[in-house]
Amino acid sequence: MSSEAALIDAAKRGSTTAFADLVRAYREGLLRFLLTRTLSYADAEDALQDTLINAYRYLHSYDSRWRFSTWLYRIAINNAAKLRQATTVELSDLSSDESDPLEQCIAASERENLWVTARRLLNDDVYTAMWLRYIEDMSVKDISAVLERSVSWTKVNLLRARRILNAELNRESDTNKSKAYG
Amino acid sequence: MDKLAERLRHDAEQIDVTISTELDGRIRASLHGVKPESQTPIRSMSRSSTFWWASSLTGVAIAFALVVVLNLKSPESTPVASNAATIPLVLPTVKWNVRTAVLTSSLEQEFDDLAADLKKAEQVLKEDIDAVF
Repeated sequence: MSSEAALIDAAKRGSTTAFADLVRAYREGLLRFLLTRTLSYADAEDALQDTLINAYRYLHSYDSRWRFSTWLYRIAINNAAKLRQATTVELSDLSSDESDPLEQCIAASERENLWVTARRLLNDDVYTAMWLRYIEDMSVKDISAVLERSVSWTKVNLLRARRILNAELNRESDTNKSKAYG
Repeated sequence: MDKLAERLRHDAEQIDVTISTELDGRIRASLHGVKPESQTPIRSMSRSSTFWWASSLTGVAIAFALVVVLNLKSPESTPVASNAATIPLVLPTVKWNVRTAVLTSSLEQEFDDLAADLKKAEQVLKEDIDAVF
């Protein structure tokens, strides 16, 4: 039995210490993801706390055929969506706003962070699919499970998102070249 | 790893987050107050058989009383429409703007070409998807 499986087993029996050890590796990644999906840093922290509490409460419903992170992200996405439902502000409205928590957590740079660009250009589900694919290294099958979409929807939208972001990268490098040559 | 994937990873790492000790404490404290669902003891629901008989009989009695009350009511006469208004039937006339399709070849040929184009486009998309994932 892997150490993760052993920790899940112990947590299912009611050990909070085992559960804390189990989720330690995922907390920072989840918070980073939630920060891109919520309207403030405090909201992201609240969503993380709710995610972990719900995961502990409903751990018995976790199906070990899936990766633990897949299940955890499903809960996190639901919690972030619940928090956002309470307000009328859209995430895309934040991109140009100084109050954007994502912008505040990124070190000042000459170029725009690609995740900020992605949030402006892609819809919620496609953005999440890109994050899960490139940051969490999830398989297309796992991503479709998290998003409750078909595998073909996930493949096609990942490809479209790649094209959009690649075009953006090319535009950025063209601008840099023209600046360099005056 | 391609350029885009590299850049996405790099930029995600630029998002600076830390689990503060305060948040860690909050999470730990709330975890202690939560019990996993499967561990919640199911309250014993055993009741004496008298209780079930009593509730069943009460239900039957209420149903019987309801039937009696409804049957005691005099049947209402159904109103009959006497002078039904006649609605004039006016059908709108639609002006169809029909143009004859200009076909450069026979319809069958056009259809075959279209099918071939679709197949080609599908093949290109499939190759693209397979190349990426």
